[in-house]
Amino acid sequence: MRLFAILALALGLAPPAGAGVDAALDDHILPGFAVFASRSADLADTAAEDCRPQALRPAYHAAFDAWMPVADLRLGPSETGALSVGFWPDPRGFTPRKLTQFIASQDPIARDPQGYSDVSVAARGFFALERLIFDPGFSDYARGSYTCALVTTIAADLANQAAALDAGWREDFAETLRTAGTPDNATFLSGQEALRALYTQVASSLEFTAQERLGAPMGTFERPRPARAEAWRSGRSLRNARLAAEAAHGLATALADWPTPQSDAALDALQAAAARIEDPAFQDVDTPQGRLRAEVLQQAVTGLRAAIATEIGARYGIAPGFNSQDGD
Amino acid sequence: MTTRRGFLASLMAVGTAPRLGWAAVGNPDFLAAAKDPDGRFALYGLSATGATTFRVALPARGHAGAAHPTRAEAVAFARRPGDFALVIDCATGDVLHRLTPPAGHHLNGHGVFAEGGALLLTSEQVAETSDGRIGIWDVSAGYARIGAFATGGLGPHEIRLMPDGETLVVANGGIATDPTDRSKQNVDTMRPSLAYLSLDGDRKDEVDLPAELHRNSIRHLAVRADGLVGFAMQWQGASGAATPLLGLHRMGETPGLAPAPLADELAMQGYAGSVAFGGDGSELAITSPRGGRLHRFAPDGAFIGAVTRADICGLAPLDTGYLASDGLGGLIALGPDGTRALARQDVAWDNHIVTL
Repeated sequence: MRLFAILALALGLAPPAGAGVDAALDDHILPGFAVFASRSADLADTAAEDCRPQALRPAYHAAFDAWMPVADLRLGPSETGALSVGFWPDPRGFTPRKLTQFIASQDPIARDPQGYSDVSVAARGFFALERLIFDPGFSDYARGSYTCALVTTIAADLANQAAALDAGWREDFAETLRTAGTPDNATFLSGQEALRALYTQVASSLEFTAQERLGAPMGTFERPRPARAEAWRSGRSLRNARLAAEAAHGLATALADWPTPQSDAALDALQAAAARIEDPAFQDVDTPQGRLRAEVLQQAVTGLRAAIATEIGARYGIAPGFNSQDGD
Repeated sequence: MTTRRGFLASLMAVGTAPRLGWAAVGNPDFLAAAKDPDGRFALYGLSATGATTFRVALPARGHAGAAHPTRAEAVAFARRPGDFALVIDCATGDVLHRLTPPAGHHLNGHGVFAEGGALLLTSEQVAETSDGRIGIWDVSAGYARIGAFATGGLGPHEIRLMPDGETLVVANGGIATDPTDRSKQNVDTMRPSLAYLSLDGDRKDEVDLPAELHRNSIRHLAVRADGLVGFAMQWQGASGAATPLLGLHRMGETPGLAPAPLADELAMQGYAGSVAFGGDGSELAITSPRGGRLHRFAPDGAFIGAVTRADICGLAPLDTGYLASDGLGGLIALGPDGTRALARQDVAWDNHIVTL
C-alpha cells in the first residue's frame, strides 16, 4: 500500500479513497461514538442515583472527554445532532435564559426525559448541564428539588442523544459513506467525495478550535473576553481544545495510509504549547503572559492544520469548495 | 392570444438577421456555468435528465446568466463588480456582443430579458454610491444601451420579471460596497428591500424587513406563476444569529418569513445562495453552499426538511421538484420520492442554474 501511495504520488494521481474512508470510520468515528454512548449512559445512571453536583462531576467529565473525539463532526446524524449535545458558542445566552425560564415556571418538562428532546437545543446537552452543576447561580440545589429533576432529565436526554448518534452513524451513515459512488447514493457521487467530506471535518474542526475555542476568549488585545471561553465553568477550556486537536489529527491520519511526520510533529508542538498554559479555563487571557501563551497555542493549532493540508489534503487533491468560498 | 410581448417578439424575428433558436443547440432546459477541470470556464446547456446539450467556452468566471427566450443566445454576467457582460452564441460559442455599462456603473451579476426578448434588463449600481440601477439594453439594436432607472435601494442583486411581464421585482441587497475592493461600508445601517418596478422604472410596491433583520441582505429571488415571490437572504451580522434566510411576499401584502428549526438554521451559516420554487409550485427551497445543505419550505413558510449535499448552490424547478447543482460536479434531482443523482461531471458548477 505504501508503495502504491508513493507510486501514485509520483504519477500525480490521488490515492484511492475507499481505504481512507473505512479507516476513518472503523478506527476513529464509530469507536468514538460507541464510547461516547457508553459514558453518557453512565452519566445518566449516576444522575438518577444522585443528582447533586459533587456526585455528578466526575461522570460529567468522563462523558465530555468521550464526546470530544467526535464533537466537531458535522456530517450525517451529527450535522444537526451535534448541536444539541454541545450548544456552543452561545453569545446571546440562550442556554441560561432557557434554564432560568424552566426553573422559574417549574416547567413540567423537567420530569419528562422523552419529551425533553423537543425543547430548544440550547437547553440540552453538556452546556446546559454545565450551567446547572458548575455555575453557583444554579448549582446550589438539593435532592428532590426542581433543578435536581431537571439535571437528571438533561442527563437522560443526553444519553438518548448519544445512543441515537451512535446508532445513526453505525447503522446508517457509515454505509452512506462506504457506498459512495453507487447509483442509489445521492449524497456522495464518488469515493473521492466521501473522503473530501471527512477531510473537511478535520479542517473545519481545527479552524473552530483556533477561531472559537481559543479566539473567542482571546478577543482583541484591548478587549479580552475570558467569559467567552468554552466550558470555562467546568475548567475544561484547555482540555477541550487539546482533545479536539488530537481528534482532528486522529481522523486525518486515519484518512491517510502513509506516514505523516509533519502532522505528528505539529501535534507534538501543540501539546507542548498546551502544557505551558497556566489556567485550564483560559481566564488569564486578560494578562499579557496569559494572552501570549494562548496565542502560541493558537498558532500551533493553525500549524497543525497547515501540516495536515500539505501532507494529507493536497495528496488527495482536495481543494476548498468552489461556491462556499465565493460569496456573492 | 396575441400579447404585446408576443407581438414584439414576432416583429423582432422578422426585423433582424436570422439567429438560431434553442433547438439548434439541443433544446436545453437549463443553462449553467462551470469551471472545467483544466481551470477554464464554460457555459453548458443541460437537459432535464442532466445531460449536456452544448458547451461553449467563457473567457472568465461568470456569476449568473440570462437566456434569450427564443434565440440560442445567453448573456453571461461577470462577477461583481462587473464591468462587462457577454452575449454568447450558444451554437458557436462566439461572443456576439460585449456589454459595457456606462462609466461609473457596475453590473451586479444578474439580468433578465423582457418584452419577449426585445429588451435586456441588468442589475447595476452606481460605483461611487452603490445606488441601484436597472440598465436597459435594446436587443434588436445589437444590445445597445438605451437607458437606466433607479431601483430605490442600494446594491441590488437578482432581478426577476413578474408573471404579468410588465413588473420587475428587484432584490435591493442594501449593502454599500467600496467601488474598488468590494468591502462593505454600511453593515450597521444597511436596509435591504424588495422593490417592484414597472419596466419604465415606476415604483409599484416596496417592502422592508423588520428592524432586527436589517442586516439580512435580500439577494436572490424566485417567482411563482401566481405572483408569489420567494426571497433569499444573507446575514451580515454576527455569526450564530440563526435568522430566517427565506421570505415570502405577494405584491401589496406584508412579507412573511420562513424560519427553520434552530439547529438547521445554524447549519446554514447565515447564507442562502439560490432560491427556487419546485416544479409544481407546491413548495420552495433555498441552498447554502457554506452549510452544504438545502432547506425546503411550504408556501406558507413552514419548514419541510433539509437535504445535505456539499457545496450545493444552483437551484431550479424540475418536474414536481428541483434540480440542484454543486461545486463537486453533481446534478441532483429532488422530488417527492427523495433525492437522486442525475449526473456527475468533472466540473465545478457555478452559483446559479438558469431555467429556459
